[in-house]
Amino acid sequence: MKTGYLVLEAKRAMRNPRFLFFTMVFPVVLFLVDAGTFGKERVDGTTVSYTAYLMCSMAAYGAFAAAMNSGARTALERAAGWQRQLRLTPLTPSGYLTAKAAVGFMVALPPVFLVSVVGGLVEGVHLTPAGWMQAVLGVWAATLPFAVLGLLIGQLATSETVQVLTVGVTMLFGFLGGIFIPSAVFPDWLNIVSKALPSYWLAEIGHGAALGNHDTATAVAVLGAWTVVLAFAVTRRYRRDSARV
Amino acid sequence: MLVGMNMTTRSDAAGAVSAGAAVHLTGLRKHYGDVRAVDGIDLTISPGEVVALLGPNGAGKSTTVDMLLGLSTPDAGQATIFGRPPAEAVAAGGVGAMLQEGSLLEDATVGETVAMIASLHRAPMPVATALRRAGIEDLASRRCTKLSGGQKQRVRFAVALVCDPDLLVLDEPTAAMDVGTRRGFWQSMREFTDTGRTVLFATHYLDEAEEFADRVVLMRAGQVVADGTVAQVRSVVSGRILRAVVPGATAEQLRLLAGVTGVELRGDQATVDCADSDAAVRALLAGYPRAHDIEITAVGLEEAFLALTSSEEEASR
Repeated sequence: MKTGYLVLEAKRAMRNPRFLFFTMVFPVVLFLVDAGTFGKERVDGTTVSYTAYLMCSMAAYGAFAAAMNSGARTALERAAGWQRQLRLTPLTPSGYLTAKAAVGFMVALPPVFLVSVVGGLVEGVHLTPAGWMQAVLGVWAATLPFAVLGLLIGQLATSETVQVLTVGVTMLFGFLGGIFIPSAVFPDWLNIVSKALPSYWLAEIGHGAALGNHDTATAVAVLGAWTVVLAFAVTRRYRRDSARV
Repeated sequence: MLVGMNMTTRSDAAGAVSAGAAVHLTGLRKHYGDVRAVDGIDLTISPGEVVALLGPNGAGKSTTVDMLLGLSTPDAGQATIFGRPPAEAVAAGGVGAMLQEGSLLEDATVGETVAMIASLHRAPMPVATALRRAGIEDLASRRCTKLSGGQKQRVRFAVALVCDPDLLVLDEPTAAMDVGTRRGFWQSMREFTDTGRTVLFATHYLDEAEEFADRVVLMRAGQVVADGTVAQVRSVVSGRILRAVVPGATAEQLRLLAGVTGVELRGDQATVDCADSDAAVRALLAGYPRAHDIEITAVGLEEAFLALTSSEEEASR
C-alpha cells in the first residue's frame, strides 16, 4: 500500500537538477580540487596518502549533505500545505516520516559511490577490500541519523529559512565532526565535544577505512542514539504540527 | 424549524442521531489567544446532505473544517464523522477534502499526484475516473507547476475525490475558477452527490450555496447564526422587495403606505422593503396611479446573509 508513495518520492528526489548537482557532483569536484592541492602529502605518522583520507572525508560530506538536504526539502511541501493533504489519507505520521527518511538515506549512496569510484579510478587510491566496503557501505550506513536530522529541520524551518538552516547545520557538523578539517588539530575540549557528534563518527568510519583504526561499537552506539533521539523528536513535532503554515 | 438566530437549533435532536450522522459537532470551540475563532458550534449533518457553510471572512469556517477533519484539536467539544473520531474516519479512507490554500507537489505530474494519493487509500476509485470527473484527463502528464489557478483547483478536486469518499469536505473549492470552470465543477459535484454522498462546502459565493446546497449553515464570529434550507434562511429576513418608478413621490410619503417597512429613492426609482407586498402594491397604485415598471422580488440569500451577519454584529456591540 505504501510502495506507490515511496516510488514517487524517490522519483521526485531524482528530478531536481540543482539538488542532484550539489549532492552528487559537488563532493566529487571538491575532492578533485583538494586532492590536486594536498594529495601528495601523507597523513601524519602513517604511510596513508592524504588523497585516500580526503576521499573518505568527501564521501562522508557528500553523503550526509545529501541526506540532510533531502529531508529538509520537506519544509517546502509543508509550507505548500501538502502535508495537511497527506494527513487526510490513511498514511500515518510514521509512514510518512519513514518514507521520507528512506529517500534521504537512499540519495546518500550515490555521492559516496561517485567519490569512491573517482578516488579509485582517477586518483589511484588503494584500499583493502574490507577498506572499500567500509568506505562505501560503512559511510553510507552512518548517514542514517542525518536523513532524520534533515527531516527535523524540514519540520521546523519555513520555506524561507530552510536553506540557511540546512547549510548552517551542515557546516557546523562538518567542521566540529572533523570532516572538513582533521579533528587532530582540535584543542582538547573540542575533541570531547566532537566525539558526541554523529558527524565525528561518520568521519571516523570513513577515515578508519583508510587508516585502519576503527571503533565500530562506539560509532554504532553514538549514531544509533542520535537516530533514535532525532526520530523521536521529528515524530513528536510532526504529530503536533498540523496547523496551516 | 431549523432556522434560528442562534446556535442551538439542531442540538436537541443531535444526541439521537449522532451515531448515524455523517458529521456531528458538539460544543466545538477553538480560541487563539483572545480570538474566539470558533465559539461553541453544534451541527449535525445527515448522510446524503449537501451543506453549504457560509460566512464572512474570519467567521471561523476554516477553523471549523480543520477541527472536523482532525487537523486541529478543539479546545472544547467534539467532532465525529460517521460516529468516529476524525482521525479514525480519515484513516479508514472515508473522507476526501479540498483544503483552502493548499498547493500541489511541484516536481510531480498531475497523474502521479492523483495516483500517489490513490495508492495510500484502501479502496480508491480508478485514477482515470477521478481525473475524468474533475475534467482533467488531458492534464495527466502535465507537471503541477505548469497549471493555471483553475486547473490546480480541479487537480485538488481529483485528489479529494480519488479515495471515493463518503464525506467530501471542500473549503472554498471554486475560489480560483472562472465562470465556465465553476459550472463544470458543480456539474461533476452533482454527479457525485447523486450517488448519495455527503458534502460540506465552505464558500463565499452565495449563488453556489443557493443553487447546490440542500441546506445552508451561516456562521458569524465563530457561531452558527442560521441553519436551514435556502428558503428557510431567506425567510428569516421576511418580506419582499418592490421596485417601481414613482414620479413625484417623496421617500417619506412612500414609507407611510400600507405594508412598507423601508424606502430607498433615487430620482423616481423607488426600492421599497415590504412586510406585505400585496398591500403595498395596492396602496401604491391607489395613491400614485402614474407608478410604472413595478417589480416584486423575494429577498435573496444575499440579503438574508447581510441582514443576519450585520444585525448580529450591531446587537453584540
